[in-house]
Amino acid sequence: MKTLFKLTVVCMIAVAVLAACRSRTISPSEVVAVTGQTITDDPAAGVWWGLPYHPAKLILQDLVEPRLMEPSTQEVEVTAMTDGKTVAFRLEWIDDSQDDLPGPQKFIDGCAVQLPQKMETNVPAPQMGEDAKTVEIAYWRADWQAIVDGRVDEITSLYPNASVDHYPFRAESLKKDPKAQGEMEQRYAPARRLGNSRSGPRKQPVEDMLAEGPGTLTRTNAVSRGRGVKTPKGWAVVIIRPLPEGISVQKGTNIAFAVWQGARRETGARKMRTGWIPLILKEPGK
Amino acid sequence: MARVNNWQLGREMSYWYPESRPDKQFAAVFDINKCIACQTCTLACKTTWTSGKGQEYMLWNNVETKPYGFYPLGWDLKLLEMLDGQKWDQSGEKPVYGGSTIFESAPAGERVLGWRPEEEDYAYPNVGEDDCAGQIDGGTSFQMPHMAWFYYLARICNHCTYPACLAACPRGSIYKRPEDGIVLVDQGRCRGYQECVRGCPYKKVFFNPMSGTSEKCIACYPKMEQGLQPQCFVNCIGKIRMAGWISKPEEAREDNPIDYLVHVRKIALPLFPQFGLEPNVYYIPPIHVPTSFTRQMFGPGVDDAIAAYKKAMSEGDDDLAGLLGLFGSTEEVMSRWTRNGETITGFNDKGEEAVRVPLREPVNIRPAYDKLYQITRVNCP
Ligand code: SF4
Ligand code: SF4
Repeated sequence: MKTLFKLTVVCMIAVAVLAACRSRTISPSEVVAVTGQTITDDPAAGVWWGLPYHPAKLILQDLVEPRLMEPSTQEVEVTAMTDGKTVAFRLEWIDDSQDDLPGPQKFIDGCAVQLPQKMETNVPAPQMGEDAKTVEIAYWRADWQAIVDGRVDEITSLYPNASVDHYPFRAESLKKDPKAQGEMEQRYAPARRLGNSRSGPRKQPVEDMLAEGPGTLTRTNAVSRGRGVKTPKGWAVVIIRPLPEGISVQKGTNIAFAVWQGARRETGARKMRTGWIPLILKEPGK
Repeated sequence: MARVNNWQLGREMSYWYPESRPDKQFAAVFDINKCIACQTCTLACKTTWTSGKGQEYMLWNNVETKPYGFYPLGWDLKLLEMLDGQKWDQSGEKPVYGGSTIFESAPAGERVLGWRPEEEDYAYPNVGEDDCAGQIDGGTSFQMPHMAWFYYLARICNHCTYPACLAACPRGSIYKRPEDGIVLVDQGRCRGYQECVRGCPYKKVFFNPMSGTSEKCIACYPKMEQGLQPQCFVNCIGKIRMAGWISKPEEAREDNPIDYLVHVRKIALPLFPQFGLEPNVYYIPPIHVPTSFTRQMFGPGVDDAIAAYKKAMSEGDDDLAGLLGLFGSTEEVMSRWTRNGETITGFNDKGEEAVRVPLREPVNIRPAYDKLYQITRVNCP
C-alpha cells in the first residue's frame, strides 16, 4: 500500500509539473489521435504533452429526465493517440474534490468516451444513441480506480469505524469449506451473483457498454482499459479502447464525452456532456 | 405523463407510466393499536435478508415511535414540508384530494418531487423511541384521546400501485410483478444512480455501497409464492399484521379479509395517501391519538375508522371483531374468510381451510387457592 501511495503522489506531482511547463498545440474543432504511438495508460507520461489537445466544451444533460439543472464542469481537455490497433484518450478536467467513496447520497467522479458503433453518414443521436443506431461507451469511475489501486472489499474501507456483528458467510462452520462459503456470500449479494459488479472486486477501472438511447445502457464484453489519477486541480484519466473499425487517416468518425462530479451529486443522466465532435487520425508532425 | 386513476385520492392523477394494475395486488393491514415496538419484525427481516456486506445500515422493516421517531431521520416531515396545500375536499360523497401529489408537483427536470437522505440520517434508526408528544402536568387526568401520546409505526415497502421508485428510475430497473404487484429492483440491471432512493417518499429503497445497487423489501416473495406470509408478519409478537390481496374498490369482496377491512369497513387506511402512490400497506389508526395528527398521516377517513374499530368490541360487531382475531393466527396467506356463529375461519389461496379461531377466547378464572393441589397461586410467572 505504501509503495502504491508513493507512486500515486509521484504521478500527481508529475502531472502537475508537466501541466505547468507545457506549451501544447490546441486542436480547436476536432479530437486528433496521433498515429504511430506506443500506447500508455499513464496520464502523467511525457508523451501526452507533445500531442495536440482539444478543449471540449461541456453542456448540461437537459434532454431527458432526470436532468442536470445547474452546470458544473465547463470543459474537458482531450488528447489522443493510436498505435493502429488501439486508441488512447487522455481526459483532464477540473474538480475540487476527490469523490471515490460510494454511499447513500454520495456519488462518484467519473468520465466516459462515446463513439458510434458503425461509421455512418447519419450519426446516432449524441445523447446515448438511438434505436438501431448503437453507441459504444467506455466509462471510468474513481471508486473502481480506488479498488484497482488496492482498496479492500470490506465495509471498513468505506466506513473505517464500522463494526459488524456477524456476516452469516463468516460463520466458523463455513471456514473449512471455501466453496460453500463463497455460495453463502453470494446469497447475500444478489447483484454480484448476477454479475453486476458495480463495485466490489474488479481488475479494470473502465467498463464497456452499449446504448441505443437514454436508459438502455447495457454492459458488453470488456475491451477497454485505463487509469486515472487525481491531480491537484482535478482528474487526469486515460481510457484505451480498440480503434473504431473503418477509421483511417482519410476517414474520421465522431466522438463524445461526459463528466460526472460526485460532490455535485452527478450520477447517471445527471451529467455534463458534449455533442458529437469529429475524431480524426493524423500522422505525427502533420 | 399519463393520466391514471388513484382511488385513494378519489380522482385521476398524473403518473410517469399508464395505469397497469397487476392480476393480483399484494397488500397488508397493520393494526397500530396492537404494536408494542418489540422490533421482532425488524430482526426477522434483518436476519433473513439483509445480513450481507453493505446492508449493515439497512432496515427494510423498521418500527418508529411517532411523533418523534423516524428512519431515516425526518423522512415524512421533509416531504410534507415540500408538498404544499394537502387539502381534501369533503363536500361530496367521497373525499377528493385537492392538493398535488409528488408526481404532479415534480419540478422541471425531475420525474417526481423527491429528496435523498444524507448518510447520517440513517444512523439513528430508533431515534425518538417512546418520546411523548407533550408534557404530563400535575392534575392531568386520563382521557381519550390522550393529551400526551405516542404510537408505534411499523413500516415496510408499500408495494405501491404507482411506485415512485419505479417512476424515478431512468433505466427501468425497477418493476412491478404482474402476478402479485410486488415491486422489485432488478439487481442485474440497477446501476446505483439512487434515483429511486430520492423518489420513494417512504424511503424504503436503500443504496448498498458494496454492491453499488439499490435494494429494497421484496415482500418475501419466495414465501408469498408458496402462499405464506412474509417473515415480519409471521414473527410479529403483537399479531398486528395480516398479508393478503386487495381488489379495486369496485371489485371488493366481503369475504376477502383485506377488502373487508379496507374497502367494506374502511377501518384500515393508507399511509400518506396524498403522496399519490396508492400504497398497499393499510393501517388501523391508533385510537388514543388526536386525529388532527393522524388525519395528515392516514387521510380523511381516520375518524370513521376509529369509531368503527371501537364499536367492534363495545357494541358486538362480531364480523369485524372476529376478522381481527385472524391476525397472526396462521403463516398461510388468507384470501377468504367466514364467520359462522362464534367461529371464524380463514381459507388459503387454494380455498383450503388454513385456520379456525374462536370469536372470544375462553376465559378461565383460577382461584388463588387451588383445592386440588392444595397450593396458593401467586400472581407472577
Ligand atoms: S414504498 Fe417506496 S420503495 Fe416501496 S414501492 Fe412504494 S415507492 Fe417503491
Ligand atoms: S413484531 Fe409486531 S408488535 Fe413487535 S414491533 Fe414488529 S409490528 Fe410491532
